[in-house]
Amino acid sequence: MASLIAENLTYSYSRQSHLVLDEVSVELKPGTMTALVGPNGAGKSTLLGLLQGRSKPNKGEITIDGHPLFDSRSQVALMPQRGRLNWNFPITVEGLVSLGRVNHSRSTCCELEAALQRVGISDLANRRLDSLSGGQQQRALLAKTLMTPSKIILLDEPCSALDPPAREDFLLIIRQLADAGLSLFISSHDWGISLNAYDKVVALDKHVLASGTPEVVKEKLDSFSCMHSSYCRA
Amino acid sequence: MLNVYSTLETWWLIPFCVILLTGILCPAMGTILITHKRLLQVNLISHCVLPGLVLAVALGVSPSIGGVFSGLFGSLAAEALTNKKNENYEAIMNTILASSLGLGVLLIPLLGIRIDLESVLFGDLLTANLGDLSRTIISFLVFISLILFGYEKLVHIGLDQEGASDSGIKVSYLNLLLGLTSALVIVSSMSAIGVILVIALLSAPALLGLQQAPSLRVAMVRSAIFGSLISVLGFLLAIAFNMSPGPLVAVLCILLIGLLPRKRNN
Repeated sequence: MASLIAENLTYSYSRQSHLVLDEVSVELKPGTMTALVGPNGAGKSTLLGLLQGRSKPNKGEITIDGHPLFDSRSQVALMPQRGRLNWNFPITVEGLVSLGRVNHSRSTCCELEAALQRVGISDLANRRLDSLSGGQQQRALLAKTLMTPSKIILLDEPCSALDPPAREDFLLIIRQLADAGLSLFISSHDWGISLNAYDKVVALDKHVLASGTPEVVKEKLDSFSCMHSSYCRA
Repeated sequence: MLNVYSTLETWWLIPFCVILLTGILCPAMGTILITHKRLLQVNLISHCVLPGLVLAVALGVSPSIGGVFSGLFGSLAAEALTNKKNENYEAIMNTILASSLGLGVLLIPLLGIRIDLESVLFGDLLTANLGDLSRTIISFLVFISLILFGYEKLVHIGLDQEGASDSGIKVSYLNLLLGLTSALVIVSSMSAIGVILVIALLSAPALLGLQQAPSLRVAMVRSAIFGSLISVLGFLLAIAFNMSPGPLVAVLCILLIGLLPRKRNN
């Protein structure tokens, strides 16, 4: 079990460029699913990069159970956007998942089997990656992420290319992971009924517009008089 | 007298070994390059080989060493262009590629040296000697070492370069090693198929080998089998019809492209 607290994160790509994140604070608790919503360019992927320790904030602090992030980076794992992967690479699901521990240690077959079972694709272990549906590919990528010993999992738009049934299935799987004690922080473009699947929502547009339960966040954003059209409910 | 007869009877042995090893090595290397989307960069390396080779001859150094160094320079240029994600990088790379070849051709009269340009660019397999064979064997050993020590890392980089970097793999170091090995493979295939036509042997068998392959390893083995078959076939046909083996092997590679399954449009 691990809690992540990020306080007043400010970030820009260079000193001259404008701020990508401005005084952003987030708390991720064990056993919870938190959605990170915002329009394109809101800074969602940048925030995930900071929380992963991939880049350092200009200002602010990130701690895990009170320790600085850079002392416990192995506690955080990122499931990247699907566009980052070469899906035509000749590899099976088993091969992909086993790469999850490539620099940590040799994975045992039990660990591999457990990761595949957790996402419900044990029967697809020997299938080539490019022969799977989009939903199955995302599950395989999640299984690779679960091979790390991390307790905090960041997911960068995992449902973006999924149809509604596949999206629901995926949300069910990550709910089970949260129930098992993991902290999940999921960036998403969704702004609708599917947000109700989360315990908490953080609405971001360079700074935190609203944070809380899905109902609270929706109410707050509605009261902004639809300043941000992408947040307006139809 | 007996020695002359035995030489006459075995003249084909060294060219055969060279083309067989090249037919295995190039497609195996090409499989990695295609999956890493680096084939254009390798085309640049192959065109960059000539200026270094010419300079090496002028300086009295082994042409292979000069070729590898200028090939490596091409690899570094390609790496820098790719890393900068310049939107015009394909156009820039193609310009460097043609300019390097032009520079090599210009250097020959400027330095007052004699080089059989045709055999460098398109191969001269039937005159291959022990030096050519040992160069091919060295490249083969370097390639095998790369696979033995870096296979998993190469798989991770080919699949997800950023993810590989995040998990602690030194991506730029491995990409440099890949560039160096590519330069070695290209220079070693100079006598068999030539530094320009080698692209056909790097690409066509690999495309076929990659079809439905469950792993990079299996794809490399399949590509090497297709590549060695097409190379030996080219060698035999060249002898039978008194043709140049390098261009013939390159033309035969088209047959492999014809064997690729067509994607159905739904």
